[in-house]
Amino acid sequence: MKRLDLMREVLDQEIVDVDGVACGMVDDLEFRDTPQGPVVAALLVGPGAWQTRLPALLRVLARWVFGDGRVPVPWSEVKDVDERVQLKSKAEALGLGVLDRRVGAWLRRLPKS
Amino acid sequence: MNFGEIFLGILTAMGGFVEIGELTFSLNAGTHFGYQLLWITALGTVGIMVYCEMAGRIAAVRQRPVFTLIRERDGFSAGLATLVAANLVNLLTCTAEIGGVAMLWQLLSGWPYRPLLLLALLFFLATVWLLKFEWIERVFGLGGLMMIVFIAAWWKLGPDWSAVGAGFVPRWPQTEGKRDTLLYFYYAVALLSSIMLPYETYFYASGGIEDKWTPKDIGMNRMVVVVGFALGSALSVALVGAGVEFFAPRHVDPQLPGTAALSTAHAYGRLGLYLALLGMFFAFAGAAIETALSGAYNLAQFAGWPWGKEKRPRDAGRFALSWIVVFIGGTLIALTGVDPVQVVEYSIVFSVVVLPFSYFPVLMVANDRRIMGKHANGPIAKALGWFYLVLITLAALAAIPLFFATHGGQG
Repeated sequence: MKRLDLMREVLDQEIVDVDGVACGMVDDLEFRDTPQGPVVAALLVGPGAWQTRLPALLRVLARWVFGDGRVPVPWSEVKDVDERVQLKSKAEALGLGVLDRRVGAWLRRLPKS
Repeated sequence: MNFGEIFLGILTAMGGFVEIGELTFSLNAGTHFGYQLLWITALGTVGIMVYCEMAGRIAAVRQRPVFTLIRERDGFSAGLATLVAANLVNLLTCTAEIGGVAMLWQLLSGWPYRPLLLLALLFFLATVWLLKFEWIERVFGLGGLMMIVFIAAWWKLGPDWSAVGAGFVPRWPQTEGKRDTLLYFYYAVALLSSIMLPYETYFYASGGIEDKWTPKDIGMNRMVVVVGFALGSALSVALVGAGVEFFAPRHVDPQLPGTAALSTAHAYGRLGLYLALLGMFFAFAGAAIETALSGAYNLAQFAGWPWGKEKRPRDAGRFALSWIVVFIGGTLIALTGVDPVQVVEYSIVFSVVVLPFSYFPVLMVANDRRIMGKHANGPIAKALGWFYLVLITLAALAAIPLFFATHGGQG
């Protein structure tokens, strides 16, 4: 069984989807209670996830600027963890990288894009 | 081994050593303090070589860019603070370089400054949009080499070699009074900071990943770093020399980049003038591109977005939008009429505060055998890494008090 240091090897690591496309960072972790103790339920991605790690005043400011959206990625979707957290599915299917695709679609209208 | 990679080193070094801020800074250091600060140039050059080599090695072995390491090793809050400060430095430096390019075009064309700023913006947007990364490296790295005319002009002025040699020996400054001594230390800290500018490391490591380095490129990385930064450093020394030998005797305190070209015009006439102006154009433009791309690299790497100039904009949307925003933001700030040289001099001083937070994670990862395997730092790299980390931390602590004590270097 692979031993994982959640703080050093999962939190704040880059997430890549099944095609190797970068689709965010592990901004926070969600735990679930089980009779054996807490287990990781999901990776949390997005402003709503990292804001909780900021000092209170900055948290308010960050929420105002970036909103508080966050996407939970179930731990069962994680294929492997090395220097990146690799997922089993495409980013789109998990609701990740939405803004990137939106901006990309907009830039696509320009020549040589 | 691909020798084309040398241009990444040259472009990175040019963007750090002879961008508009350090160009005027070196000239002023020469006019104020003669060759007394050359040892700082040498000290800083070795420092930036050490850290860029490490960051390049990490890029080659693990394909991990600097801001990913910053977030992982400094933690989220300190990493975010570093990101904000680093990108503020990028934005202000980019502002100054766009202003510098417009100033040079103004000298050559006689057109008004503000429309030229807009023209410069269009030039940068089109260049970065259309050129592949390796062509950006080649065009601006090679073009910047025209700055070598400053070394030739300094040589022709017949420098006092014993004074130059003595300048490389660290010593207590020979100044008039306490105020001048403080100013000397302000210049020392600012010069060290301007040589070890953080965006050089961010850009260099990201460029290595863009160029798809592998562990086989480690030897080349070392060579690129040494050649690129030694050349940048030699240019910086030649500019100090121009300050000492040309401007100080004429009681000229050069504040505009165009003034620098007077020393080469004096030595080589019209040819010297044009070479210097063209060289400055490529160096400033290279620095503008370096800082705009570095801003986008930093953001994308911190937030986990797809990134890279090698990716099509449609596939790395937010990354492309980020560098576009840096260029537009820089131009808007320059349009307010702020003095580009002043802007960059302030940003240089504040950037030293970012340095320890940027270099600490690089050192930690490069030292780590579990991550780097046989390519981890050896005893020399480790010792140099720690020495410079302590040095820049001391410089970071001294920077802001010195800035206020000397009224921003005005004495």
